Amino acid sequence: MSDTIIDVQNISKTFKISKRVKGLGGMVANIFYPKYEYKKAVNDVSFNIKQGEMVGFIGPNGAGKSTTVKMLSGILHPDSGSISIAGYVPYRQRKEYVANIGVMFGQKSQISWDLCAMDSYEVIKHIYKIPDKKFKDNVERFVDLLDMKSFLYQPVRQLSLGQRMRADIAAALLHSPKIVFFDEPTIGIDVVGKEKIRGFIKTLNETDGITMIFTTHDMQDIEKTCQRLIIIDDGKKLYDGSLDSIKCNYVSSRIIEAEFEQLPEAIAIDNVTVSDVEKNKMKKLLSFDNTKVNINSLMSQLLNSYSIKDISVKEPEIDSIIRDIYEGKIIVGRKAEEG
Amino acid sequence: MLTYLQFSVIKFRNNMAYRFEYLMGILNTLLNFLVYWCIYKALYAGAAEVDGITFSMVATNFIISLGLTNAFSKNEMFLHDKIKQGTIANELLKPVNFRMRMMFEDMGDGFFKVVFNFLPAVIISLLFTQLQPPAGVLNLILCLISTVLGYLVLWNISFIIQTWSFWLFSVWGIVTVKNAVINILSGALLPLWFMPQPVLDFIKFTPFDSIFFTPVQLYLGQLNGADILFNFARQIIWIVILYFIGDIFWKRGLKKLVVQGG
Amino acid sequence: MKDILQLFCAYAKTGLKSRFQYKLDAIAAIFAVFFREASGIIVMYLALLKFDSINNWNINELLFLFSLIFITYGIFIVFFMALRDFSDWIKHGDFDRVMLRPRGLLTQLVLCGADWLAAFGHGTLGILLFILSANNVGITWNAVTITYYIITIAGGVLIQGAIFLFFSAVSFYFIETQSLKEILYWNVRKFAGYPISIYNKLIQSILIFVVPFAFVNYFPAQFFLRKEDMAAYPQWCMYITPLVGVVLYVLAYAFWRYSLRHYKSTGN
Repeated sequence: MSDTIIDVQNISKTFKISKRVKGLGGMVANIFYPKYEYKKAVNDVSFNIKQGEMVGFIGPNGAGKSTTVKMLSGILHPDSGSISIAGYVPYRQRKEYVANIGVMFGQKSQISWDLCAMDSYEVIKHIYKIPDKKFKDNVERFVDLLDMKSFLYQPVRQLSLGQRMRADIAAALLHSPKIVFFDEPTIGIDVVGKEKIRGFIKTLNETDGITMIFTTHDMQDIEKTCQRLIIIDDGKKLYDGSLDSIKCNYVSSRIIEAEFEQLPEAIAIDNVTVSDVEKNKMKKLLSFDNTKVNINSLMSQLLNSYSIKDISVKEPEIDSIIRDIYEGKIIVGRKAEEG
Repeated sequence: MLTYLQFSVIKFRNNMAYRFEYLMGILNTLLNFLVYWCIYKALYAGAAEVDGITFSMVATNFIISLGLTNAFSKNEMFLHDKIKQGTIANELLKPVNFRMRMMFEDMGDGFFKVVFNFLPAVIISLLFTQLQPPAGVLNLILCLISTVLGYLVLWNISFIIQTWSFWLFSVWGIVTVKNAVINILSGALLPLWFMPQPVLDFIKFTPFDSIFFTPVQLYLGQLNGADILFNFARQIIWIVILYFIGDIFWKRGLKKLVVQGG
Repeated sequence: MKDILQLFCAYAKTGLKSRFQYKLDAIAAIFAVFFREASGIIVMYLALLKFDSINNWNINELLFLFSLIFITYGIFIVFFMALRDFSDWIKHGDFDRVMLRPRGLLTQLVLCGADWLAAFGHGTLGILLFILSANNVGITWNAVTITYYIITIAGGVLIQGAIFLFFSAVSFYFIETQSLKEILYWNVRKFAGYPISIYNKLIQSILIFVVPFAFVNYFPAQFFLRKEDMAAYPQWCMYITPLVGVVLYVLAYAFWRYSLRHYKSTGN
């Protein structure tokens, strides 16, 4: 059984933001009597992550995700609470701690624009004091897994976004960190590129047991790679558990899409909302709450009462579930905490 | 014509938004002026005049030439950036003459800076130094006209070099050298009254003394009658020559762009 | 120690490679910087053809004075370019990356950024001016003078480093300092090029106590030249440049550490 490698207890962080006053008069007043607002970016957040886990952090913009990650990586220190990662206190033992972590920012490359990726890797080798053999092995392995042979020696500015991101991911992993933070690792990349990156990340997690944390807006990233999801909004942790749990336990809405041979005059079934499908008069969407309506009986009722050409049950889309959670339409309770 | 003037106005208004930068510009002009003021005060070492030139004439020369240098400074990598980034194509699709637009925008910019950088710098400098007043109202007016002409000389030189971006990787080096050469030979750093004769003779064949020196001379009333006409004529002739040289490079460059693409 | 050297070489290698990708352009740019700085000197030379001397400093003595500024700047910019541009680093979040690496923060900043262009441009000019003037100003070059020259150059580098380190620390509090810093630094440096005795008391005080450029070139030059205008200042000023460099750097470093703690607790 793996041990807890990340232990976060009740961390909070408040920022002092200067209030911008409008107008010239306001600007002058602001210099002499600056007004401040206090924003609690992170509010009493706690969680544990075990070695080798893949966890997704999601939340709307400004939710406190990046502040949390900054505290985990040692860049900021929390106002209260404690963080212990791999036996270190990140913000107190920065130099020793960061040798064990890798960070990849999807939007901010760490490799030189003018030179080829390999040149940047050589510099990273010296920064992290990576032994020659390990460096060589890692480079070979990543080049192979990420399919970088064709562009490893090309100037980075000539690479496509997908190629550059792959080079960046390799850069973050060169020193064989125990924990890796990914911030928007697939942003802006085409479908094929995304698959390659997700595949690589999963492989590395499985073979090397690297603990991985994602902050992302791309739900597919989470669905395809992470077992566990932590939702943060307004500085608070809203949910900590698996994706499937959310779908099963929290979202009871289902939709049946039915295509009719003959359009009935009216469809009236208790607790079922009927709506039209754009561009197709013969299709209707039937929305219902599956705690109130038994799906089997609804299906038989439809098939018996109407001439149906095609019928399918749609699962709630993860994106809309998450949106609903953000908007407070679905409240996720503490009972969902696992792990 | 009205359309082009509108570009000047827009640039003028945009500049109001970047107040801090422009305040820094005034400070920059002042500090530049101050260095040379101190140097020449020490060089004069109390003498009333050297070669017939008084210290306040020298101070006036510097405030005008350094102030205008700052007021006329602009982004000379403008064309270079547009060409390298490929956005030049968008500009050429618009139904306005790109070069004219550039010129009027820069003029709006320059005018703004003259009013809001140069003039405040002059006024502040009056707090600690004596400047020569204009030799007369007519002289002042002639000086202003000459300043506009001088600006056009500067602008066209800059434009020519910017067009070389069509062929070169970067024009930054050439622009920097050009500016250093102009600073020396236009009298901005060393009043042309003190320039050794051989260098002066050389300058007479270049457009450089048509930039700041002519306006300074007019301001101080050093030119009379025929000389005034002669100097205006030189400025205008240089503008025309430089304009046509710029035109040739511009058209050739465009042709190269169209043939080679992006 | 060896490891620091290795890291510096790794950065230098990529920095040079990057800059010299287009060799012709790099050389043209170096020449441009050289010529731009030299223009002030050319103009001074031409002026002195007419005026003979300034406060009794002749052209050779002035060239010697100038050379100290350029040589120290050329060396300084090899190590302190990142500090020169530090507020841009903060603004673009580049400093976060520095904090994620298992090396000292200041160590990284000092080793990683060299403006090779400026280093070669200013440095070459400085060396040229030194060669032109060193034997025409009455200096006997012996073990003492040579040693002092070297440590005073080091002191001059430290003084300028301290100034930039201080401003970088200020960036932790106010991000938008870039244009103010540039104006102040470059203009003050222009003033420092000339013997400070030509200025009034206010400007002199600024150059001695606020932005101590006087200790980078004027006082060290006086150690070698002993011009009459030195009588206006305490004589020991001529000897203490290396000390001033170390003290200022230590103070700036302390302020940097303090400001870093502030940054870590407030973010940006």
